[in-house]
Amino acid sequence: MGIFVQTLGFGIAAGAVISLGAVGFTVQFGISNVLNITYGAFMTLAAFLGYVLLNRGLDVWVVLVAVGVVIAIASAVFNRVFLSPLRGRGAGFVNLIIGTVAAAIILQGVIVIAAGPSAVTYGQQYGKTVSGAGLVFSLAQLIIISITVALMFGLHLLLTRTKVGRAMRATSTNRTVARACGIRTERIIDLTWLLTGFLCGAAGVALAVTTVTFDFSIGSTFLIYMIAASVLGGIGQPYGAMIGGLVVGITSQLGAAYWSPAYQDVVAFCILIAMLLIRPRGLFVAAGVNRRNLSAT
Amino acid sequence: MTGWEYYAVVLLVDFGTFLIAAWGLNLEFGVAGVPNLAYIFLVAAGAYTYAITTLGPSSGNGGFQHYVIGAHLPYPVAILCAAAVSAVLGALVGITGLKRLRPDYQAMALLVVSITATTLVSAKTSLVNGSAGLALIPNPLHSIEPSKRGWAYVGMVFLICLLVFAVLRRFTDGPFGRLLRAMRDDEEAALAIGKNVVALRIAVQAVGGAMAGVSGALLAGFLGGWSPGAWLFIETMALLTAIIVGGIGNNWGVVLGTAIVPTLIVQGVQFLPDISSNPELIPQLGWIILGCLTIGFLFFRPAGVIPETGVRRRHRVIAEPAELAEQPADGAKNGASMSNWLIAPRGDADRRLADEREDILVVDDIHRDFGGVRAVDGATFSVQRGSITGLIGPNGAGKSTALGIVSGFVRAGRGTVRFDGADVTRAPNYRRARRGLVRTFQLSREFATLSTLENLVVAAPRARSESALGVLRGRRYWGAEEREITQRARRLLALFQMEDKAAERAGNLSGGQKRMLEVMRGVMTQPSLLLLDEPTAGLSPRLTQRLGDACLALREEGLSILLVEHELETVDRLCDTVIVMVQGKVFARGSMADLRTRKEVQEAYLVG
Repeated sequence: MGIFVQTLGFGIAAGAVISLGAVGFTVQFGISNVLNITYGAFMTLAAFLGYVLLNRGLDVWVVLVAVGVVIAIASAVFNRVFLSPLRGRGAGFVNLIIGTVAAAIILQGVIVIAAGPSAVTYGQQYGKTVSGAGLVFSLAQLIIISITVALMFGLHLLLTRTKVGRAMRATSTNRTVARACGIRTERIIDLTWLLTGFLCGAAGVALAVTTVTFDFSIGSTFLIYMIAASVLGGIGQPYGAMIGGLVVGITSQLGAAYWSPAYQDVVAFCILIAMLLIRPRGLFVAAGVNRRNLSAT
Repeated sequence: MTGWEYYAVVLLVDFGTFLIAAWGLNLEFGVAGVPNLAYIFLVAAGAYTYAITTLGPSSGNGGFQHYVIGAHLPYPVAILCAAAVSAVLGALVGITGLKRLRPDYQAMALLVVSITATTLVSAKTSLVNGSAGLALIPNPLHSIEPSKRGWAYVGMVFLICLLVFAVLRRFTDGPFGRLLRAMRDDEEAALAIGKNVVALRIAVQAVGGAMAGVSGALLAGFLGGWSPGAWLFIETMALLTAIIVGGIGNNWGVVLGTAIVPTLIVQGVQFLPDISSNPELIPQLGWIILGCLTIGFLFFRPAGVIPETGVRRRHRVIAEPAELAEQPADGAKNGASMSNWLIAPRGDADRRLADEREDILVVDDIHRDFGGVRAVDGATFSVQRGSITGLIGPNGAGKSTALGIVSGFVRAGRGTVRFDGADVTRAPNYRRARRGLVRTFQLSREFATLSTLENLVVAAPRARSESALGVLRGRRYWGAEEREITQRARRLLALFQMEDKAAERAGNLSGGQKRMLEVMRGVMTQPSLLLLDEPTAGLSPRLTQRLGDACLALREEGLSILLVEHELETVDRLCDTVIVMVQGKVFARGSMADLRTRKEVQEAYLVG
């Protein structure tokens, strides 16, 4: 039982990071309708930027915001100069995904040239732990969990309570109609990419802080966790991705604890493959939990 | 052997093995449209299979490496084993296509399969020695003296390339390639003309998998070692880049792409001056250039350097001038005798006469909800043999959904569909089409990259060239039948007065011509009941007239038609019986003249 509760704690901490990244991924998918594999590479970039800045002694909150802003701008530019024009040229779904894989390979190559292929260890540890109800969290984990909760709450307010949020949902549902209704869809799309890029950057830093030791492949592996979470929650649905992130985080930690750490990734991969084969629209769609959210189609 | 000679050997073996794999992936992705991002996993499976079947028992090497089997088989057998194992795995991977996911989801699922396989193989040491990989894999030519072995290997690889190419051509060119391209262009339409898309895809992935296996076996035999590092998913991207650069769907384009991508670039960057001390620069630069090439081509030349063979060139092959001359010159004028030819009676003619009175289609109490909306709510109707039956009703009455249920494209929530005396309620859509229950779509779905004529020829039912085994037997087996089918297609084009568009790429046809093609393609499957979903929507009065004439001519030959239509003039002219649907139920039934006199029908539809 002790192991189970402790694993649950790890799972919640891991799930918080996954949720953070997955929400960005899924909202981005909702507005662009493209499975953006480059998202993982941007996350790697964020992890390395965060690593450099944190080692300079900057405060974790400052780093989080700074890296988030950098990745936000990079993502918006990426959409403007690459993804959107490629789609404009009539590229189909498969060519688009191949294009984003190619872009990810390029970005990852640049990162390896700049930072080297070997793993780096993030020096500053948040050694202190906080425990309660059998769960033990490191300070870092607690910070990440609270960041996730705060950002998710902010996103919720943005999507449901503001005009911009409504415009985003409208654009995501049907771009042409949204434009016909007078929504400046170009700006809304840019805004969505900025927002999701920020989430991606924040998640990258959070991932670097929690995993401590990582290398250039961190984003591409983690991408699969995020996609698994997104698919689990129904692609395009932010609340689904939040829950999906927790589910994926906890199950993969349980797999690591009770099976073997070597298979931790495999658990997440299998969740994704199984979901795609059995229920590609996600677990919660039929239940009508997320009726008010972004939808993919 | 000098250093340069050795280098040349490595390059050429690399080229040959890469080419076999790229051809295989091109068959799957380029020709059949299966985005198999797990392809490198199949190459790896071939390499491992070759290794563990040629190596002796694992216990024999003093615990140096662990693996299963260790059968010490002769080399040719081992290579065949590799092909077989990869073919089976390829077919298994093909199961990801069962759910008919959107292609990018499918691509991602396969990508994850590839990564999962790498992770599992690395972690499980006892299978094929984990992440350290296998070493000391025997070279199939090890009995040749070392100085000549390299060139001999090159010779062997190229010989196998030729062999593979000879087989591959039968799949990528000719009627089978046409079928695969049709499936690639529009899967739903392929199902609607009775093609078993899933079986086709699995067959293609087995063939592509076998090629991957051969490639992997040859690579492992040459390198002498194989480890998870050799088959990261990024290698699939290298293959894809070669295909995209060379020309998607074109075998010669793939040869060119293979010459450019792995050979020129991956090897070429090694010769760059070492300008920095960064050891990662050169290898990463190779990948970066690869990525840039992919993106550049996707942007500026998505068809590649040598695009897929154009419609007009393929056309010369299927429509040889000699055959055209054989066609009776007056055929186009004599409509009746022509359609006799078009709808060949299916099954037993006597039996047809015997149950002449039984309706060809009997639909009983079908239901269908879409998220709380009752689209079809207990509709019951039937279609008489040899009649043209109209299905009319206001928008949202459930006509198209009813048609979807009858054709098997929409699952019935309740109720039964009987066709030609058999219950087909649970039969998959393509099987209903094979039985002779064929639909067209409200929005035309054409096989865009095929010509008009090819669109028709591909729809012919039960062609010999439709099976992978049949097509392997060559033109002598299917050629005569193909000529017959082509002639039938030409007669059909004549009936619809579209002979001049025979060689046009279907994607370039006008909206009205696409509608006509849609109907012709349905007729080409030799149906006994044709379901037409608003065939005259968007047609000019002249084309509507022409389509109507054709329908009447086909009815004379015994074809039954169920027609969803809003244009009452057309309904008046064509339909023997008319069914009126309102709010998911059948509201009235009778001849058009009869219905016009009935007040409730007028109120429900005709006036409102």
